[in-house]
Amino acid sequence: MSKPSSFSLRGRKALVAIKDERDASIVKRQFERLGIDIVASELCAVADGHPDVALIDDEFLPLASPAQRAALGQCPVIALLGTETPSRLKLVLELDPASFLVKPLRSAGIYAALVVAFEKSERTNELKQQVLKLEQRLRSRRIVLAAVLQVMHARALTEPAAFAFIRRAAMEQRKTIEEISAEITMKGYRPRAG
Amino acid sequence: MMVSFTPRRRKPSMTKPSIPVGIIFSQHGPYQAMGCEIFKSAMMAVDEINDQAEFDFSIIPHVRDPRGIVSEYHTACDDLIRNVGVEHIVGCYTSASRKQVLPIVERTDRLLWHPARYEGFECSDNVIYVGASPNHNVLPLVRYVLDNLSREIFCVGSNYVWSWETNRVTRELATAAGGRIIAERLLELGESAVGHMVDEIVRRRPPVVFNTLVGSSSYAFIRAFHAATTAAGLDIPMLSCSLCEPELKIVGPASAGCITSSAYFESIRLPENRAFVARWKARYGEDSSPSVDGQSAYVSVYLLARALQRAGTSNIGEVRRAAAGLRYNSPQGPVWIDGGNNHCVLTPRLAVSNADGQFDIFWEADAPVKPDPYLTQLDVAVTPARDGASSGAPHLRVVK
Repeated sequence: MSKPSSFSLRGRKALVAIKDERDASIVKRQFERLGIDIVASELCAVADGHPDVALIDDEFLPLASPAQRAALGQCPVIALLGTETPSRLKLVLELDPASFLVKPLRSAGIYAALVVAFEKSERTNELKQQVLKLEQRLRSRRIVLAAVLQVMHARALTEPAAFAFIRRAAMEQRKTIEEISAEITMKGYRPRAG
Repeated sequence: MMVSFTPRRRKPSMTKPSIPVGIIFSQHGPYQAMGCEIFKSAMMAVDEINDQAEFDFSIIPHVRDPRGIVSEYHTACDDLIRNVGVEHIVGCYTSASRKQVLPIVERTDRLLWHPARYEGFECSDNVIYVGASPNHNVLPLVRYVLDNLSREIFCVGSNYVWSWETNRVTRELATAAGGRIIAERLLELGESAVGHMVDEIVRRRPPVVFNTLVGSSSYAFIRAFHAATTAAGLDIPMLSCSLCEPELKIVGPASAGCITSSAYFESIRLPENRAFVARWKARYGEDSSPSVDGQSAYVSVYLLARALQRAGTSNIGEVRRAAAGLRYNSPQGPVWIDGGNNHCVLTPRLAVSNADGQFDIFWEADAPVKPDPYLTQLDVAVTPARDGASSGAPHLRVVK
């Protein structure tokens, strides 16, 4: 299957909400050079799903409605800064930007901001997935502990031996420790000794 | 200082209006050999244009020599704009020097005509990039190597953006083709202690070596590489995207056999090139040769002059618009500026250096190729043909 270079942005869809016409024309021209399609020029819902990236002028902040935030979906946001005052930066931070550009815009910097935004977004999504997985495992620790206690009582084993027993059973049945623990505690299932 | 004139309305008795143009090339310092070659080509074009009746103006060159000192480019450019009042500057060889000039030409809305090939990933409205883009030089060379020589490449280069980016593209293409970069060895700019790199190459015997070293580092490496591989009885092809005829003369016989990618070689068999080379030799000596970047500086001055003539003014907005798409049958063949990204449409070529200090061209694109400075059209998955199907990679073909 054809795969673009990791630094090629061709075919990506962008929402571009920029107030100043000169800045907007610079972005438009640079996006044409990079092969990026501008699918919306204001903060509104995009016809066919969410954009891949959004450039939001700080003059549009704070976002007026939840619908505007929803229009962005989970796409990375590049904030366009007109001023570096803390009050403005606070509004920008609420967008959780993946990258930023300082106005007035030049063609230089736009490509780097896009690559950083996509890369940061991808890494953030991976981290979020990892956090979800870890939270899930943390929640199931209680079940594992209950299963260990049950096996300790039933087989008169020490805690490490009971855990090893469960782990071996999980491996044999190609299940996670959490899954086998849930079966032990909920169904009263007692795995056979290996 | 904007100059307006009406093309074709001037009476022969009238004095041509003068247009001041800045010329910034380092004729001294670490890369003075190439800087002088480029400067000589630019001045040749200026003199030719001033002698031609078809141009309704004269170019007054204001020459600055930053001596290879990066910060001096900023000073020279500032002086030309502030004190001389130039709107157009032809200059800069290295990317570091161009980056110094860029903020000033953008802030003051001037136009830099940049002749050298570079690594891409830049697109200023205040620069006309006349040299080759990465899709003109690196891509054809690496595709050719992967298709015809090897999928494993040993890279040597200077610790500089040109080598970093060239090696990055090479790595992506080689990896996608199931190959790899065997090693990537970098030297500081100007460093000539190349022994350890050559020793490693002789020990590891890679199928091919890609040399992106610049200037004196490259000359030292090519000589040492040739001596060591000859002594060891090895025949390892060397690749380059920058070697040119004046450098072949500097390096000597050791430079023969290098597979080189370039838009210009002195051996191009076009009437425009034969005439250009003849004029060059008449002016600078029978033993001298124009270089790819020198020829590009010559083309830059001509593209500027033709755009000025078309626009009827030196105003940069109008000149930029006039330059877009304006075709010029240059020594390297037809070229024009792509108005979408201010880079040059030109014809990529591959050649092998010979013992006479020239290049034997064995491949050229069927037609001029659009510039792709951000490599947006690069699809790394287009691998070299394995089943005889066309991969878009250049195949061996003698060009006479």
